[in-house]
Amino acid sequence: MANYQLYRNTTLGVTLQDTLEEMISQGALTDQAAGKVLSEFDRSINLALDKRINKKIQFSGKLSTYRFCDNVWTLVLKDFSVKDPNQSQHNTTAPTSQIPPADKVKIVACDGKSATQA
Amino acid sequence: MDYSPGFSDPHSHQNDQYASPMSLPPSLTPRSVASREDTHANASNDNRFQHRPSIASKKNIPDMGPPSTVTSYHLSSVAPSTPFSAAATPYTPRTADPLRVQPSLQNIVSTVSLGCPLDLKRIALQARNAEYNPKRFAAVIMRIRSPRTTALIFTSGKMVCTGAKSEEDSVQAARRYARVIQKLGFPAKFLDFKIQNMVGSADVSFKIRLEALALKHATYCSYEPELFPGLIYRVIQPKIVLLIFNSGKVVLTGAKERREIHEAFERIYPILKTFRRAS
Repeated sequence: MANYQLYRNTTLGVTLQDTLEEMISQGALTDQAAGKVLSEFDRSINLALDKRINKKIQFSGKLSTYRFCDNVWTLVLKDFSVKDPNQSQHNTTAPTSQIPPADKVKIVACDGKSATQA
Repeated sequence: MDYSPGFSDPHSHQNDQYASPMSLPPSLTPRSVASREDTHANASNDNRFQHRPSIASKKNIPDMGPPSTVTSYHLSSVAPSTPFSAAATPYTPRTADPLRVQPSLQNIVSTVSLGCPLDLKRIALQARNAEYNPKRFAAVIMRIRSPRTTALIFTSGKMVCTGAKSEEDSVQAARRYARVIQKLGFPAKFLDFKIQNMVGSADVSFKIRLEALALKHATYCSYEPELFPGLIYRVIQPKIVLLIFNSGKVVLTGAKERREIHEAFERIYPILKTFRRAS
């Protein structure tokens, strides 16, 4: 049952939590129900990112620091940039949000295979 | 030793060897790979040609040491290949004085005790560039960039520092790791620092007939080309183990002091000369 909760910090997760808290404060939802919604969110987003996303991007950066503890890799990259994927597909101008280059990016990576057990 | 008249004077052979393309591939391969990487990065042809001269100019850097000291162990950079190619000029005359060929240190392993028990999980969580996977290995693996080394840190407070290229670097690196541990709040000291092993390498820049060497020096040699392409030669005094390859590259290991590496090499070099491959 347990899924990674790290996606609660995404924009989607944060806004969901805000909404749930608002509803709780209005009395429209119980704490228990909100907890259920959140765990359903964990399950769905893990599943969706695993099975329903097949887009790949390439990025590069210089590894500044790394850490491996509790089966979690934490990588801090300097001079991070995403390679432009639009070069091969001519002028589709899809509204893909361009990921801007950044001085520093932190990547937290968990073991995808053990996601269902973790 | 009975080989010496036959194999010590063929001037022509040596000149042939350097002139022939056969002696070049080891230096060529890494360089071409490296320059290809460079062009990838810059994605233009002009750059490739600008890189060549810069490679060539590098051979004047004094730190590189004598050309023969370079081995193919560094995969990463352009530099290693360059002094090797530079060898063609200084070594063409027969006067290949053995004093010029010196082994260079490649790795030093040292141990030190920090004198206090350590909480590895806390170290792994708080320190940077640390790996801790207790299922695999019961130590934190930590790295620093300068001196570029790796440390294994054990819960007993003992630490192994590997990868340094000189004694000073090894001490300094070990001290830096101890400082990192100290900064995390452990009462770390710096006890019983000891260099446990030193590895050197050298290139005698001629090919060696390993089979003949193994036969003549059977008591010291183990040569099993089907298991390992190098000949393992055990020098008794100093107690050093050498890996000798038919390319003329030599790895020396088992030393506790730099002097032992040099002594062992000075002993082996005249022997290797007598087993020089003629072609």
